[in-house]
Amino acid sequence: MHAVNERELVERCRSGDEAAFQELVDRYKDLVFALIARTVQDRSRAEDLAQDVFLRIHRGLPYFRGEARLSTWIYRIVANVCLQEQSRPRKIESLEDGRIEARTGGADRQFGDLELRDRLEKAISRLAPNYRLLVAAHYLEGVQYEELAEALQLPLGTVKTQLHRAKQQLRRLLETDLR
Amino acid sequence: MFCDEALNAVEAIASGEMIADGRIAQHLTTCPNCGAALETAKQLERMLQMRPVPRPPAQFTARTLTRVRRARWRSDQWFDAGFNVAIVAIVVAVVGGIWMLLHRSGLSAVSGDAVDLFGTGVATLVRRVAPSVPLYAAATAVLATALVLWWWAEREAAP
Repeated sequence: MHAVNERELVERCRSGDEAAFQELVDRYKDLVFALIARTVQDRSRAEDLAQDVFLRIHRGLPYFRGEARLSTWIYRIVANVCLQEQSRPRKIESLEDGRIEARTGGADRQFGDLELRDRLEKAISRLAPNYRLLVAAHYLEGVQYEELAEALQLPLGTVKTQLHRAKQQLRRLLETDLR
Repeated sequence: MFCDEALNAVEAIASGEMIADGRIAQHLTTCPNCGAALETAKQLERMLQMRPVPRPPAQFTARTLTRVRRARWRSDQWFDAGFNVAIVAIVVAVVGGIWMLLHRSGLSAVSGDAVDLFGTGVATLVRRVAPSVPLYAAATAVLATALVLWWWAEREAAP
């Protein structure tokens, strides 16, 4: 979104214009929902959390000083919501859970296979919460490395290193599972 | 030792951020373990890129706006309640202050006669007003009904 439009939208929201806030929700809902759903991996919970994000945006808009871009501020809220959610105790799924028993030789070892996709999701769920968020965000269109680093208040190099480590862990998890 | 170096590079090679130089490229073709790791890393990269993007439900915006309105209404209610409590506290403080002022200044002793006089006046007023009591009662009932209707309408209008 263009910076001028963004400022104008924020000002309209601040003045209590509900149509402006609806526009804001419409602009960012796909990104917010996708990031959260990929990170928490529970669709119904994801909707609840995405609504929480917009509620926090609504409450926080009067205090938004416009020093960072609106999208960066929104990513920061998403990251906080996701990390808070991940700090709640939950069951860690084994990569073996839900495995399809009827194997047909090596054919099911293709990554395009639904079974492997399911195992990839399970492997992602075993990553540390900040790694999971990075993997979710990096492979979403429209999320820039720089913006992500600013939102997470981390140096760009740290974001790249953490993403590298996250992918390494994923590979090891899948290799252990595949062999 | 060289395997560690190669394994550390496979993610970057798989994502295209790094091009394997001669030494690493040669190792990746000759070492089965590192070669397999590169293949897995490439498959992983493809899978992550093809990972489906979850879309919000159709009613997401409407539901979010309803939740925001409800939260705002609740916060307004708290604000109203706080305002009412503050007004009551101010009235109590003012009345208490006046009473203390009268008591300390000795005016309360003088006010005994004033109270008797006031009581007689009230009794006379009641005698004169008594025939109109049903009319006042009806007016009070109408006012109370209007207030109840207003409260009910406010409650219904809340999100």
